[in-house]
Amino acid sequence: MGKRIGAGKRGRSPGRTAVLLGAGALVTGMLAGCGSGGGLKINVYYAPEDSFQKVVDNCNQAAGGRYEIVYNKLQRGSDDQRLQMARRLAAGDTAMDVLGLDVTWVSEFAEAGWIDEWKDQNKAAASEGVLDGPLETATYNGKLYAAPKNTNIQLLWYDDRITPTPPKTWDEMIQKSKELKAQGKPYSIVFTGAQYEGLVVFYNTLVESMGGHILSDDGKSVVMDDGAVKALALLKQITASGITDPSLTNSKEDDVRQTFQRGDAAFELNWPFVYASYAKDKASDVQHMKWAVYPEAQAGTPAKTTIGGYDLAISSLSAHKPEAYEAALCLRSAENQKFSAINDGVPPTIESVYHNDTPLDPSKPAGDDNPNMAIKYPMRDSILDALKDAAVRPLTPAYQNMSTVMSKVLSPPAEIDPKATADKLREQLNDALQSKGVIP
Amino acid sequence: MVMGTVTTGRKVRWGLVDILVLVFALVPVLWVVSLSFKTKDTLTDGSFIPQSWTWQNYADIFQTSEFLLALVNSIGIAIISTVIAVVLGTMAAYAIARLEFPGKQLLVGLSLLIAMFPQVSLVTPLFNIERNLGLFDTWPGLILPYITFALPLSIYTLSAFFREIPWELEKAAKMDGATPAQAFRKVIAPLAAPGVFTTAILVFIFCWNDFLFAISLTSTTASRTVPAALSFFTGSSQFEDPTGQVSAAAVVITIPIIVFVLFFQRRIVAGLTSGAVKG
Amino acid sequence: MTVQDSSPADTSGATVAEEATSRKKGKPALSEGKKAERKLGLWLCAPAFFVMIAVTGYPIVYSIWLSLQRYDLRFPAQQEFVGFDNYGAVLTNSYWWTAFGTTMFLTVVSVAIEFVLGMALALVMHRTLVGRGLVRTVALIPYGIVTVVAAFSWYYAWTPKTGYLANWLAADAAPLTDQWPSMFIIIGAEVWKTTPFMALLLMAGLALVPDDLLKAAAMDGASAWQRFTKVMLPVMKPAILVALLFRTLDAFRIFDNIYVLTGGAQDTGSVSMQTYDNLVKGLNLGIGSTMAVLIFITVAIIAFIFIKVFGTAAPGSDDGGKR
Repeated sequence: MGKRIGAGKRGRSPGRTAVLLGAGALVTGMLAGCGSGGGLKINVYYAPEDSFQKVVDNCNQAAGGRYEIVYNKLQRGSDDQRLQMARRLAAGDTAMDVLGLDVTWVSEFAEAGWIDEWKDQNKAAASEGVLDGPLETATYNGKLYAAPKNTNIQLLWYDDRITPTPPKTWDEMIQKSKELKAQGKPYSIVFTGAQYEGLVVFYNTLVESMGGHILSDDGKSVVMDDGAVKALALLKQITASGITDPSLTNSKEDDVRQTFQRGDAAFELNWPFVYASYAKDKASDVQHMKWAVYPEAQAGTPAKTTIGGYDLAISSLSAHKPEAYEAALCLRSAENQKFSAINDGVPPTIESVYHNDTPLDPSKPAGDDNPNMAIKYPMRDSILDALKDAAVRPLTPAYQNMSTVMSKVLSPPAEIDPKATADKLREQLNDALQSKGVIP
Repeated sequence: MVMGTVTTGRKVRWGLVDILVLVFALVPVLWVVSLSFKTKDTLTDGSFIPQSWTWQNYADIFQTSEFLLALVNSIGIAIISTVIAVVLGTMAAYAIARLEFPGKQLLVGLSLLIAMFPQVSLVTPLFNIERNLGLFDTWPGLILPYITFALPLSIYTLSAFFREIPWELEKAAKMDGATPAQAFRKVIAPLAAPGVFTTAILVFIFCWNDFLFAISLTSTTASRTVPAALSFFTGSSQFEDPTGQVSAAAVVITIPIIVFVLFFQRRIVAGLTSGAVKG
Repeated sequence: MTVQDSSPADTSGATVAEEATSRKKGKPALSEGKKAERKLGLWLCAPAFFVMIAVTGYPIVYSIWLSLQRYDLRFPAQQEFVGFDNYGAVLTNSYWWTAFGTTMFLTVVSVAIEFVLGMALALVMHRTLVGRGLVRTVALIPYGIVTVVAAFSWYYAWTPKTGYLANWLAADAAPLTDQWPSMFIIIGAEVWKTTPFMALLLMAGLALVPDDLLKAAAMDGASAWQRFTKVMLPVMKPAILVALLFRTLDAFRIFDNIYVLTGGAQDTGSVSMQTYDNLVKGLNLGIGSTMAVLIFITVAIIAFIFIKVFGTAAPGSDDGGKR
């Protein structure tokens, strides 16, 4: 009896399953079918950027049909972006041509042999007129591995109704903040203090401003010299004096922006995107939002501020390298950098773009609906000043390991003990550099 | 009902308890709804009820076809996976609960093992396999892992229920003159239904909310599901989170869940009592 | 629909099983009925078995193999077999044990709370006299909300100035920057999100409790508590096992909530976050896979304990149920 029924069962359910699976496959086949035409495709993998498709279209026009650039948008989270690309490259995916790399990934991708060195006229074209800091982020072991697409640098933001002039040094700023607190005014100094990359960026700025080093210049050994220890002491002083926001250790870029924008802080250390948001959300107050370069850690020596941004690299597995180089160069051409800077707020890497006052539509006069660099970047001189004293994060293929270790050891910053913390960093960074042992 | 008569007092008491449950479940949800209706500059003003209302976030997510396509993918993939997982799970669970056969322990142990292994370490090998088989970024490419990871829960839930079903009732019904089909439809199916529909709801929600596989095994709108699509939303700059839009999307994608649950929860009722069968 | 589908098989199975029980304990050579039963059982299980093996067989074996290698994706040239070195490295690391302790704490506390609340919720959803459909549907919504979004809403709710909870309950403090307050917020978010899972499974278990049994117990003078512990709980035992087992397995792998709420600061990181940092961020496949295997072993031990405690209520145990 069971046998008979069993046979009936056999004939039935798996059949239905197969039909369903078949239907699924059919639908997918149809969906995949559309959009695949002939012609050479150059696949660009890059972070989501609202107007980047427009830049891609510009470059497709410039290519005149010889190839078509396809923008494969990566996720918002930078870990996800990196993982997606690394996973494909490790699996030997030949369909990737141009890769948008965060400045801290270039050494890693170069060391793994995933991206090609830029040489000869490509190299010349990629570095022409580019500021030193951004160019350094694309360089590993003295070779150029990417074309800087956009950079980024933090500034000091303040409200001239609270402090008419910006503090020049950290000591001055801490002092000022304490006075404001005593007067019952908004007083706090806000920055990215959560346990993540943002804290490392902040600490790196302090180290470089103190003239210190975390790693040796070749990125192969841990130094943690005197400057780095002094920076630990300063970080502790800033965070343990009651002049930061209560949620400091859970604050990332956008939390920091909101705190200042709400009027709950006197000084904000953050990327320039905060200006555009402030202008949009609090248009009536924006004339009081002022900026300056980072305060000095050693009086008399300009601060060196950590830079961010994206570089474009060519996958070493790409089947169409000449076209890929051409496409990458177009996507970060001076004209397109200006376009992205004005539309998406990403600061250019080519110095001349900062001085270019031609509006988006050159045939019409500049104005709020036809902005130029001066309108969108009133702080462009400060950005340029800061970029000229830029600090690059340590160039090592193990940067991600380093960053995870550092953010863990530095958290919470108020509990730093300069000597002991430095020892701990020395020991754990050593392991992290060799990708030995466990990352916290 | 079960005990005593239904008095107004009891109704009021239950009403109060219901309200407690609703508050517990809904307050955080309403907060998400509230976030989705806030304008960008009031998003973080800390008030529970939006000070100024806007549909902008909803308009934004439907501006391009990306979200809509993701919604279609999500619905299709979740429904197909749920049906297959529940059918396969029912078959296996029935065998486990009712039959003697070699390898039973193996299957029970194996399915638990699969449920226990951290999925994050399985994703990269799966990615490589699917790329080689051409399943990457297709519906079956997501459906297969979903079935696999839903099966352990289905098998366990269903076999737990099947073994509690008083199967002898079926025999009794047949003695009363019912045909096997009638006995199954009138007696066994209603008793098995709570387990089956509970499983269906849980599996559906699992497939619907999965992020890890959705993000790792898809690359285009051909198969990207909603949770994955959320991570492609952009704020007005690299560092700003599109909280309003993400909240709006979360509200939209919770609606199918509500519909699904609404549709199936009524099947999870107390099984027929033996008294009812005899009577 | 699915139920109708399996109709013939179920019917015959019932009969076969009855035959099997009537023959009890006697162990002669396999009879025809016994053979048919074996065959049917194998056929019913085969599809599930093959799907599971096909999808996860290789990845699981591959992960275990990786855990015995030194293998960093960025330094492919250094790949070599290192035996159990990775296990030594992880098990002697204080970060791992801190995360392990945190994860254990979060798991035990949140599953315990979820069980109690889930049982209460299940009773309400099952027994309420008014608005049953509404209560059942609404109570399940938290489980249906995408975890990351739910976690973000909690993050906003608890951030000073931006959130209603922080503003009402903890003015001028930032609870998410202290270890214990953040632990309890993480537990709160986790409990709120997953209690419905527990409640749904338990409610389906409650549906199996025969009403006449409860009536009889009531007539015998059993108090409500006695009816609950003596009549309902025994019938629900298999459902309770499944609910507790799967919730514990999931809770031990908690990731999204912590990632969004604290990013693992102040020692609130879980073992899954550490695995993510090593495997995904660090691209260190060796150490990362080792952690995955260790999580797997821990969870397996927990599951084993559960199954032993629940004894014959476990699915597939030799005594196929008490009926």
